[in-house]
Amino acid sequence: MAEVRVEAQRGYAGELLHNRKFFIGTIIFLALLAAAVVGNFFVDPVQRRTGSFPARLPPGPGGLLGTDSLGRSVAIQMSEAVPNSLQVGLIAAFLGTLLGALIGFTSGYFGGVVDAVLRILIDVFLSVPSLVFLILIASLVRGLGVQTMALIIGAFAWPSPARQVRAQVLSLKERAFVQIARLSGMSGLEIIFRELMPHMLQWLGANFVNAFIAAILAESGLSLLGLGPQKEMTLGMMIYWALSFSAILQNLWWWWLTPILTLMCLFLSLYLVHLGFDEVSNPRLRSQV
Amino acid sequence: MIAYLRYLSERFVIFVATIFISITIVFFVPRLVPGHPLTAVFSRMAAAGGRVNAPQLIEEYNRLFGLDKSLWEQYVRFLRELARGNLGYSIGNFPAHVSDMLRSAVPWTIGLLTLTTLISWVLGSLIGAVVGWRGGKSRFIQALVPAALVLYTIPYYILAIILIFLFAFQWPIFPLSGAYSVGLRPELSLDFALDVLRHGTLPALSIILVSLGWWFLSMRSLITSLKGEDYILQAEAKGLSDRRILWGYAFRNALLPQATGLAISLGRIVGGALITEVIFAYPGLGWLIYNSITSIDFPVIQGGVLLIVFAVALANFVIDMAYPLIDPRIRYERAGRG
Repeated sequence: MAEVRVEAQRGYAGELLHNRKFFIGTIIFLALLAAAVVGNFFVDPVQRRTGSFPARLPPGPGGLLGTDSLGRSVAIQMSEAVPNSLQVGLIAAFLGTLLGALIGFTSGYFGGVVDAVLRILIDVFLSVPSLVFLILIASLVRGLGVQTMALIIGAFAWPSPARQVRAQVLSLKERAFVQIARLSGMSGLEIIFRELMPHMLQWLGANFVNAFIAAILAESGLSLLGLGPQKEMTLGMMIYWALSFSAILQNLWWWWLTPILTLMCLFLSLYLVHLGFDEVSNPRLRSQV
Repeated sequence: MIAYLRYLSERFVIFVATIFISITIVFFVPRLVPGHPLTAVFSRMAAAGGRVNAPQLIEEYNRLFGLDKSLWEQYVRFLRELARGNLGYSIGNFPAHVSDMLRSAVPWTIGLLTLTTLISWVLGSLIGAVVGWRGGKSRFIQALVPAALVLYTIPYYILAIILIFLFAFQWPIFPLSGAYSVGLRPELSLDFALDVLRHGTLPALSIILVSLGWWFLSMRSLITSLKGEDYILQAEAKGLSDRRILWGYAFRNALLPQATGLAISLGRIVGGALITEVIFAYPGLGWLIYNSITSIDFPVIQGGVLLIVFAVALANFVIDMAYPLIDPRIRYERAGRG
């Protein structure tokens, strides 16, 4: 009983920080981000060029993390790839969640014909793997930049948030506090922003992280198919270049292993954050996984 | 019954809409992108050293691909040809039909994915049931859950690269790539079957390990949640053996949701592991699409995309159709409340 009261006092953010999974996930994520940002301060743009270093250097002193077969430092590539991949995740997740929230809200709140049409649309795009459309578009628009790629990935990331926002709105709409707000003469928009939004926000957090994971996954998938940004570095493109220069067979393990380990840490940290969000917003889950 | 029919017709609308919307996207996206639709063809010809500027050639190609007609006429023609199963010609291997190329790639994908999905489902469910029932008593079992979690967060293709490094390079036990040895002709013989098996081991392993984590976790939480149910308590009170309660009562009841999961992933098989195939140069749909991307062979990419969409939509429809018949507890508004 006492514990429940303490939790109630902490508030949502406090409770998140006290969640072990959320905390560990956030720490790993921030460490990755910090390493990339700090690393960028020490990089001279000239060193990004091919042939800046001797080729095929194994990792050793000097902090290069080894060099690839074109004489580029793996560490310097990473300092470009990590922020770029995170940027893809951020833009795509933001766009996807925003679009999804808008569509889900409209569908759930207004109901009727609008809802019927939007529901079919949501179901349609939910059932088709979005990678398929991404492949189609990216193979037509070659030479995508990081940002364009993020926008395209985000444009197909709305169905799952839309479905969930719609379900949430449907259940919130009938609650007493919304009914009272309506009876007391609040307008539709006012109800959405002042009464419904606060309830949705914590839930949107978990969904945002989910979309973030999916976007980075989509980026690396597209890159490995040869559809990634050719002139910029992302984690997916690093693996793509390493594989197309057969880094495995040349035993340049540092070239392919660095981006792979980073991706794994990234996914793991984001997944932990997601679990943390889930547990805090849905206490019934807490003891299970 | 009426409720079921209403539900069914709603799912059918979704099925038809999925296919129609996808076809429409596949048709219009290439035409919205700036540039001549056949730019890729011309640049290929230029790269091959041909003369591209010959006006008759461009005209001939335009006629061949129906580009001299209005957009609407082109769309109708596209739909008509699709209904007849005609996906057009490949640009990369010109006289070859796209549908023939797809037909020779798809069996590899379906074979690999069906086998791996079933194996990981059976293994994951069994281990998950035992661990969920016994709870975390030993250190080893306690370590299984985080291990499964890590496996499940890794994308297939990352594991694929690590497996190639370990078992094809460091200890060359398995071949690096392909589905059978170069020079071997596909035939029904023991030698060929063994060769295919050897080539399939690493791709299969990369898929099995990752999906194993997922099936394990879901079965484990299902069994854990069933533990306190009345019928389990009653079985315990009757003095049935622990083993009998687990397999005869808990496992059987957890099987239904777990089987739905299996059905859904079987439905996604065709587009399931495109990138794994690319990494292993495994000659399925993913490898075909990858090759078409590198050779700018748009008709083949388009055909592959349509095939995946169609397979997924059909599988979803079949599952939706069958599910209420298998599980009477489901309400027909599943889609509505979503």
